[in-house]
Amino acid sequence: MSSTTVPEQTIDLVTGAPRADGGADKDPAIQALRQRFGTSVRSVHSDAVGVPCAVVDPATNYDVLEFLKTDPAMAYDLLVDVMGVDIGGGRPIRVWYQLWSMTHGRQLRIECRVPYENLELRSVTPLWRTANWLEREVWDMYGVTFTGHPDLRRILMPENYDEGFPLRKEFPLRGRFARSEQVRRALERKGEEIYAREELEWAGVLPSAEEDGPSDELIPELSMKIGPELLADGLESDRMVINMGPQHPATHGVLRLVLQLDGENVERCIPHIGYLHTGFEKTCEYREWNQVVPYTDRMDYLAPMIYNIAYAGAVESLLGIEITPRCRVVRLILSELNRLLGHLLWLGTTAMDIGATTVFIYTFGERETIYNLHEAYCGSRITNSATRIGGMLADLPAGWLEACRDFVRRLPETLDESERLLTRNSIWMARTMDIGVIDAETALNFGLTGPNLRASGIAYDVRKARPYLGYDEYDFDVPVGVTGDTYDRYLVRLEEMRQSIRILEQALDRVPDGPINVPDPAVILPPKSEAMGSIDAMIAHFKLVMEGLQVPAGEVWYSVEATKGELGIGIVSDGGSKPVRCRFRAPSFVNLAALPYLVEGGLVSDVIAVNASIDIVLGEIDR
Amino acid sequence: MTTGKQLPTIQGLEVGADTGPPRSWLTTRIDYLVNWSRRNSIWPMPFGTACCAIEMMAAAASKYDLARFGMERFSFSPRQADLMIVAGRVSYKLAPIMRRVWDQMPQPKWCVSMGACASSGGMFDNYTIMQGIDQVVPVDVYVPGCPPRPESLIYALLMIQEKIKGESLVNPELRAENPDAVGRPNLPPEAIELVAQPFGNSTRQNRVSGAVPSGAILRPRDRLERLLEHQD
Repeated sequence: MSSTTVPEQTIDLVTGAPRADGGADKDPAIQALRQRFGTSVRSVHSDAVGVPCAVVDPATNYDVLEFLKTDPAMAYDLLVDVMGVDIGGGRPIRVWYQLWSMTHGRQLRIECRVPYENLELRSVTPLWRTANWLEREVWDMYGVTFTGHPDLRRILMPENYDEGFPLRKEFPLRGRFARSEQVRRALERKGEEIYAREELEWAGVLPSAEEDGPSDELIPELSMKIGPELLADGLESDRMVINMGPQHPATHGVLRLVLQLDGENVERCIPHIGYLHTGFEKTCEYREWNQVVPYTDRMDYLAPMIYNIAYAGAVESLLGIEITPRCRVVRLILSELNRLLGHLLWLGTTAMDIGATTVFIYTFGERETIYNLHEAYCGSRITNSATRIGGMLADLPAGWLEACRDFVRRLPETLDESERLLTRNSIWMARTMDIGVIDAETALNFGLTGPNLRASGIAYDVRKARPYLGYDEYDFDVPVGVTGDTYDRYLVRLEEMRQSIRILEQALDRVPDGPINVPDPAVILPPKSEAMGSIDAMIAHFKLVMEGLQVPAGEVWYSVEATKGELGIGIVSDGGSKPVRCRFRAPSFVNLAALPYLVEGGLVSDVIAVNASIDIVLGEIDR
Repeated sequence: MTTGKQLPTIQGLEVGADTGPPRSWLTTRIDYLVNWSRRNSIWPMPFGTACCAIEMMAAAASKYDLARFGMERFSFSPRQADLMIVAGRVSYKLAPIMRRVWDQMPQPKWCVSMGACASSGGMFDNYTIMQGIDQVVPVDVYVPGCPPRPESLIYALLMIQEKIKGESLVNPELRAENPDAVGRPNLPPEAIELVAQPFGNSTRQNRVSGAVPSGAILRPRDRLERLLEHQD
């Protein structure tokens, strides 16, 4: 092997040879798996934050996961993520299943190594409906086939994309064709004329799946153009297929929904995403550790700093460094400010979608104040890129905390005002109550997290379940809803804003003095004055700039509570200056997958309200 | 026109060559009237995709208030819009949709490319992001920034207003519908290769100044100076 390959002892590449297990052997789930599946469990280890991982035989993935979900002693009821990892060199593609047990409060990761010769796994969609989109993404990006998947087709890339699987290491960053060829192919593609097989069946262009048996070869038909045939059939039948989006004022971005309507009732809904696919995960593999930070805040541009902070936290846990007490509180304050930023935008735009423009004007006024705080801190309004690995870009400017305190003192007035306009407003109640209901069990099965899950009555909040940034030292409540309808989701978010204010009030009083960055010259650039004056600092500066930060080999799954739910960051490092894999488990990607369940059977006008209520941001969905 | 006698022209305006209709006093006044009404009642079509769309919303919201420039009526239907604001990154998957929206807009129409990603691909030089929307639709004003502040967007809209001011109804090259261009790239393949290379769009393509002159787009301040000139 050449010197560029990953060190075997830490990353455990092909053979599954045992390595330092970091206490994973003592995990009850791992013990039960070993007992039940014997040698199918190839090896176990712990990642950088102590999540136990079991590498299992790809042929047994379904049985293992079924056992973990259904056995009461395991009860891993939330499938957080399914992701792929390609470490290059033609070695097997790893598929990670990230699990969380609500009952026992435990994390677990199951890893399958799928060889290139037989890229096949059994789909776990019968166990968790959330696996549907997540597995489609793995297929789209890595070409791993999931047998038994009901609808395995491209999800982020165009449906008839023929350049290959972008996240594989052999795929070039800029694509396989010249730019002019890519533009030509793109314009010939006519994105809005591409329908899923199911949609063609509604329209009567294709025979239904029951008639000719389920078919796995979906891709050839997908490029079929719907032309006069659809129109003719559409006129004869009493149902109508309409496209909503991708350019639509109320889809909160470039989301496309294909709706089958019977009069005003929505019978079927199929979301199409990927119109904003930006290739974040691929691009991050070509950037140094600190250069990834600017990419993170362009994913969730409604609450950018939460992404900054989560990414920095993930890399710091790989490095094994502890940030300074001041940095911890500053990051917490910025996280909560950004939670307010995201929820305020949600409140304003949702109210506007349902017809109340005033709230939009109020909440945008408050957002401007938060933007001003951002600007005072780091100079930009939205795309802050404020964190660095090991600290922040700078200490807080003088007077910043007072300005923040002023804002926190004033914000409840605006919330009260908005609440007076909405909460007992009969139009608002009629448009939201009992609309888009999802019960707790189904919500969990869909993998919903964040306010959407809490509105259904499950008090799962990463800040409480696995506290980070010292959230356990603060006094705050996790609001939950009862019925899981649109109105509950509204109430939960409103109460979350008040709880954020509570956290901010406590945090602003306990910002400790001291340095904001870790005093480690291998991680943090020395101040310019020192770099110009002392030879040690100059060398450290030179090495860090020229070679980049070196992160030890390993893997980590680090999650935080973003505004929309659980934001998971999965990173694999080979000890170099760039990540091998940088996965962002975007909460609204998973939340959006539940949209068809929420809107089917309702009215077409409720699609707008429900879609707004699950709070999506296409930047992180399409990544 | 069949008048044998040349009508008096405004001082400072050059009379065109004999081929076109004479730029008479009367026509100039209609131009002025039409341009005045066009530029002060632009209906923008917000083609917002990512972060820039949030700043576009902020520009329309309480603090910045686009209504001051006669543009508060965002037209979500392209068929009633004059100005497409492409705010955010455009992927190859979205490109045909953007082109379709542009083709659906009736003439006269203008396009603002808001932000680094729309103008040049920005920090995303990868397999999925188009390296500048001008490969697919003609752009009148590029707004730098990632994302541009609302002030930058407002400035760009003022530049569009200035551009409209200089247009004439009788110029056959301006604002003609071109059915052949529907659904096709805006640039030939060689030009796409040029502007899509790293730094291509910022070094090879410069519409306001630089190597390729494309007519003056006056800055808002120039307007004041010109007015002062005319007073003298």
